[in-house]
Amino acid sequence: MNRSDIPVRKQKIRRDTTKLRLIVFGTLAGLLILCSIFSKYLCPYDPYLQDLSIAKAPPGSAHLFGTDRYGRDMLSRVIIGSRTSIFSTLLLVAIITVTGTLIGVLCGWHGKKLDTILMRISDIFLAFPGLVFALAVAGVLGGGLHNAIIALAAISWPKYARIARSQTLAQKETTYLQAAVLSGSSTGKIIIRHLIPNIIGPILVTAMLDIGTMMMELAGLSFLGLGAKPPMAEWGSMMSDSRSMMATLPWITFAPGLAIFISVMVFNLLGDTIRDYADPKARGR
Amino acid sequence: MNLRKAWKKIIGAAAAACLLTGIAGAGFAAEAEKKMVIGDTTFNSENWEETIDPHTTYNGWPCIRYGVGETLVHYTDSMEIEPWLAKSWENVDELTWKITLQDGVTFSSGRAMDAESVKQCLEHLIETHDRAPGDLMIESIDADGQELIIHTSEPRPALLNYLGDPYGCIIDVDASDFETGVVVGTGPYIAVDMVTDDHLTLVKNPNYWNGEPKLDELTIRTISDGNTLAMALQSGEIDAAYGMAYESYPLFENPAYQFSSIATSRAFFGWMNFESPIIQDPAVRKAIAMGIDKESFVAVLLEGHGSVGNGAFPEGLGGFGGENVTTETFDPEGAKALLEEAGWTDSDGDGIRDKDGQKLLIRWLTYPSRQELPLLAESAQATLKEIGIEVEINCTASRRTFLEDPSAWDIYASAQVNAPTGDPEYFFTVGCLDASASNFGHYHSDALEELEAQMKEEFDPAKRAELAIAMQQTILDDNAYVFCSFLEMNQISKAEVTGYTAHACDYYQVTADLDIQR
Repeated sequence: MNRSDIPVRKQKIRRDTTKLRLIVFGTLAGLLILCSIFSKYLCPYDPYLQDLSIAKAPPGSAHLFGTDRYGRDMLSRVIIGSRTSIFSTLLLVAIITVTGTLIGVLCGWHGKKLDTILMRISDIFLAFPGLVFALAVAGVLGGGLHNAIIALAAISWPKYARIARSQTLAQKETTYLQAAVLSGSSTGKIIIRHLIPNIIGPILVTAMLDIGTMMMELAGLSFLGLGAKPPMAEWGSMMSDSRSMMATLPWITFAPGLAIFISVMVFNLLGDTIRDYADPKARGR
Repeated sequence: MNLRKAWKKIIGAAAAACLLTGIAGAGFAAEAEKKMVIGDTTFNSENWEETIDPHTTYNGWPCIRYGVGETLVHYTDSMEIEPWLAKSWENVDELTWKITLQDGVTFSSGRAMDAESVKQCLEHLIETHDRAPGDLMIESIDADGQELIIHTSEPRPALLNYLGDPYGCIIDVDASDFETGVVVGTGPYIAVDMVTDDHLTLVKNPNYWNGEPKLDELTIRTISDGNTLAMALQSGEIDAAYGMAYESYPLFENPAYQFSSIATSRAFFGWMNFESPIIQDPAVRKAIAMGIDKESFVAVLLEGHGSVGNGAFPEGLGGFGGENVTTETFDPEGAKALLEEAGWTDSDGDGIRDKDGQKLLIRWLTYPSRQELPLLAESAQATLKEIGIEVEINCTASRRTFLEDPSAWDIYASAQVNAPTGDPEYFFTVGCLDASASNFGHYHSDALEELEAQMKEEFDPAKRAELAIAMQQTILDDNAYVFCSFLEMNQISKAEVTGYTAHACDYYQVTADLDIQR
């Protein structure tokens, strides 16, 4: 028998890099959040100070990303904008996760009419295309970052309610929960101590994956003029302000665009990694 | 399997047929018909231009701009009146005007334009329009052949100037559809299709009295977004553009395009709202006037395409221009001292002044279809913040809703042509007097009313100019209006386009000369 006939496994067993990726993206995301917390101290210039004498300066040593049409330093505006963009996104995701989960658990646990009513309401919300509905809500409420967050929150909670509800229904039938009920624990205690810790995994993963999407949608609303108001530095509205100069002075649009690109990517990859990490069966796929 | 093959063939044949007819159709069209498309940022309901019916608000502007209607008199480049549909005129006495009409002019409906039809048109105008009755003060009209005799209730020295306003477009009242706003005029083009805020389709008027229109079909496309307008011109979707943002100019500064530019009396200025308690404080108004950096606005944000505004009219205009009046100049330190003196101090150290617990917050209302207005708002926001005034910008296409509610705004920044009739009285009668149809800020000045009473009856142009200067000085002393700059208007078109020329009055855009080489 020839040596080469012996079947050998040619494919390498791929190393599971999930943990490494988790560390890398976790660090990057942490850096972004740190950057937004300390943005005030990181800005080389006052991001709101107009100096028309240096308007539309191209990127250079004094202004790394150039200046906008009002002579404001783009780097400083992108940095200070991270506070608005990242914080609002995290706040938004926190709001929808908590509200959605609470409603879902309530429906799953309580069942009956309440479940039917709330789930039909969530169906109504899910029936509309997300951003279009958010546009309508933001339009009715009027512009402003707060209203944009409310609009997006109003349309995004049903997803979480559904996940939480289905998880609750599944967990309700398990022996440990029935045991908890039999042992006479109060409903509140059962939900907080036993149920939520056991269903929170998929919800958190969904929330992590949603950060990138929400950041885009928030920037999208601002771009359309329904989010942040001038002179507030917000990436979406900064891009919108400068889009008329895209063909002539591209760097002004480039800076906030790059910021959105990087942060959305980092948070999306982090979400992916957390999903892989939380689900060992899916690892390495 | 056979069936599938058959289907394939059918689809293939259909596609080929479509392609061929498409190509052939395009080829024929280019040969047979000359078409052109103009993109315009301001032809929309946001600017009171829903239709082309001159007898409704500012709808007359598109009527005259796009060559549907014509007025009795025409303005020269220096804004003096010259004959147009009227051949000559004569001021019989203070209250009577005799106007002789051109011969051989017909409406596009086929009806001859005679004194009777003009009388019918003017009577309809006075019946329906908001500004015209007060401007014209027409008591009665006599028509005889081509001779029109107008009797006014009061002396109207500027009657002919007012009749040159777009609302004075002479239309065939019987043939016009006032329901849809598609009117029949005497101009080189006939409106055939119109959708508000979308487009207006015009075709050649074969019986035009003053030369032959060169285009067979002309479409005016409403493109309210400046960026979209620039891209539409770049892609060739439109052949000419009105209202391009200055930032896009470099894209067209090459031999493939041409600019037609002219200084206009279109002013970027702020109207103070006298219903607002904060604005009622004269110190605040004065501080605002001192806190806007007009020079930098013109030099940097308008890239020099304009001139700094002093009074209501640009410098050198008709003897009553900006050089004759004085107003506040940019002086942040002076404004700070003034506010301090008036009791506006920053008691909580947040950089914004306050008085009796009320923050010095100004709500700045403006709109986006004039590309320069949002820039002015944001520039003023920064310079006023320096002196401790916080500005909240409301830049909205639905400004008209806000304007109707005096509690919703403090300053309204607009871009308006202040001397469209070449006569200074227009500006004041439109928006500064108690009787004005658009005195949005409810400004009232006894001195101004007094001067207007004299202006109304003054026939001597030199005296009118003098009065106009005094009237401007009155509103400037009250800081009731803050004039920032005057627009240098640019119309951009492809190099193949001829006759697309900007005019100082900003409303003769489409004429019989407009042409395109295909």
